[in-house]
Amino acid sequence: MSHQPAAVVGIGQTHHKRKRADVSIAGLVREAAQRALEDANMDWGDIDAVVLGKAPDLFEGVMKPEMYLADALGAVNKPMFRVHTAGSVGGSTGIVGSHLVSSGRHKRVLSVAFEKQSEGNAQFALGGGKGASIGAGGAFAPFIRAYIRRSGAPEDIGWMVAVKDRLNGAKNPYAHLKLADITIDKVKESPMMWDPLHFLESCPSSDGACAVIFTDEDGGKAASKPPAWVLATAMKSEPGWYSGRDAVNPQAAHACAQEIYKAVGITNPREQIDCAELYVPFSWYEPMWLEAHEIAAPGEGWKMTQSGATALDGDFPVNMSGGVLSSNPIGASGLLRFAEAALQVRGLAEDHQVGGANLAIAQAYGANAQFFAMWAVGSSLNPLG
Amino acid sequence: MADTVQEFVFNLTFPFSRTLGSTLSTFASALAQGQIIGVRTGGRVIAPPLEYDPETAADAGTDWVRVGPKGTVSSWTWIPEPTNLHPLDHAFGFAFITLDGADTPMIHAVDAGSESAMSAGMRVEAKFKAPADCVGRIDDIIAFVPAADPSPSEGAGEPYEAPAENDITEMDAFCDLTYIDNASPTTTMWAKALMEGRLIGQKCPQCARTIVGPRGMCSVCAIELDESHVIEVPDRGVVSNFTVVTPVQYHGQTETEPFVRCSIMLDGADAVIAQQEILDIPATDVRVGMRVACVWAPANERSVDDIDNRSRGSGGDAILGWRLTGEPDEPAENYLDRMM
Repeated sequence: MSHQPAAVVGIGQTHHKRKRADVSIAGLVREAAQRALEDANMDWGDIDAVVLGKAPDLFEGVMKPEMYLADALGAVNKPMFRVHTAGSVGGSTGIVGSHLVSSGRHKRVLSVAFEKQSEGNAQFALGGGKGASIGAGGAFAPFIRAYIRRSGAPEDIGWMVAVKDRLNGAKNPYAHLKLADITIDKVKESPMMWDPLHFLESCPSSDGACAVIFTDEDGGKAASKPPAWVLATAMKSEPGWYSGRDAVNPQAAHACAQEIYKAVGITNPREQIDCAELYVPFSWYEPMWLEAHEIAAPGEGWKMTQSGATALDGDFPVNMSGGVLSSNPIGASGLLRFAEAALQVRGLAEDHQVGGANLAIAQAYGANAQFFAMWAVGSSLNPLG
Repeated sequence: MADTVQEFVFNLTFPFSRTLGSTLSTFASALAQGQIIGVRTGGRVIAPPLEYDPETAADAGTDWVRVGPKGTVSSWTWIPEPTNLHPLDHAFGFAFITLDGADTPMIHAVDAGSESAMSAGMRVEAKFKAPADCVGRIDDIIAFVPAADPSPSEGAGEPYEAPAENDITEMDAFCDLTYIDNASPTTTMWAKALMEGRLIGQKCPQCARTIVGPRGMCSVCAIELDESHVIEVPDRGVVSNFTVVTPVQYHGQTETEPFVRCSIMLDGADAVIAQQEILDIPATDVRVGMRVACVWAPANERSVDDIDNRSRGSGGDAILGWRLTGEPDEPAENYLDRMM
């Protein structure tokens, strides 16, 4: 892929909560966008194009919200794009924004993703408006059961991920859940939601938004704060259902990671990548994605969790922000992963900063574990030297 | 029994709820008191107020201004035959109305009696519901009507002092949507088979996969499948994976207790049917490897009204569920990977 460098120079997010009763949807996205503009030392007029992402419109019951939000996001007389790729949409929204710069078409692009889940109900929306919706947890629980069986992982791995991500979330001022006193016992004893997933192994339902501002190489070099350089982006899809499909280990998950590693020159992901934000809405997805994205060998992902390698002070920290398990405004969740990876290589992640993070990856997935979006960001254009 | 099923009618309802944010809360709270307001920003008064300047996206601030209740129509259209979704049950106009004291028009209904009474430049005034019925929604104004006295509104353009706290911060937005799914040929085929108490699938000639609930294509090979690829599949099999769902009590939820949904690998066919119910045993007793058989509704009670083009493999009300056959379990490890 021949393109010009793109840099992340502004990041903003809302305080995520179960219900942001103090804002409208426009107010929610503007809160994130204004923080990003402030971070980039820009104003609305500096932006050339706006990209908006969110999950299905049935979540809030506002059809085509990009029309209602165009002027709220300063898109009057500018290009406005709407992105939708199910749960991976936040990641895709970031990728589309970066492409508008790397293609040379625009110099400064604002990507915003949001969900205001409290206006509707996620189970209702995911069930197509019918009763007996199995929800996301119900859809993924069989995949998780299959993973546990084939990997031979002990049952406490899921509980460990749930604790680790919430402890990270407690260090993130924007996180919805800040459960500093969470323990393995509390997770284990929380109600069973989607066997084998307990309540505390599941993501919350959040209101929130995230915004990222991209510029070209000159803009990145001139930025007042350190930029994050977008080193590679990839999106892959596969059919959600076919006889014999291995949803634990989707081909698209492998292909997405392989494309990123090849573009950046990563030959040993575990060694060369400093930290990762992976879309883990249910605890077991940490080891599952570590394997499907070829960071761990098949059947070995859970050992990284068990050994503490994925903790904030481990050798391969995962979900430093607290992840989807700590905040889940669905449409924004992917962009929050992408933004956290960028924050890390900018050195601006404060209490959840990984020391010396120069190369980070972020991933989001969606629908029936069939859409994948991923990027790698670096503190320089060539962090591997 | 219908020979073919052509249309499925669905009704989607949900009580969405909007939080208004401070600007629209101020507007809604004033409206409930019979006062329409705007906001002065960028050198003009925008009414109803926005949180932001629509041209620059800058914060619009809180310089509130009283506007109306009279205004001037700048453009309009006539609705000769209103539907149940329209604000009035008789012919009316939709119009851009620039309220006295405002610089931007708002859209609302004008109850003018006849199309010939409508004109650009006509003076209209807001007709509110009875004060006790006003809840801070835009339809607290029933409609605008021709102004009895065209003279300027009293107090329009003067500052509006908002209360320290707004009474109204949320709004119900009830969705009631009816839509029709035109059944695809494969949906029709599937529904017909269910009514006859049969399960069918399509077998891909290229990869040999069987898709239960025909789809007219193979998702893997991306080739079209037709009636010649339809095969009967057995209505017996083995539970290959499952989930137990604790139901969230959302609007329209039909479940109150934890319920199970299974994938079932059908005997003698390399095919899985998903999201099936197991009858007669507690959800917690469901195991991978159980042998089950389909329990069909009596022929005269079968219905496929709930089937649509996306409910692939759903049995509608033709299948009551699946029941244990009483045979010994199959080894779980042979089936767990067959989620699909």
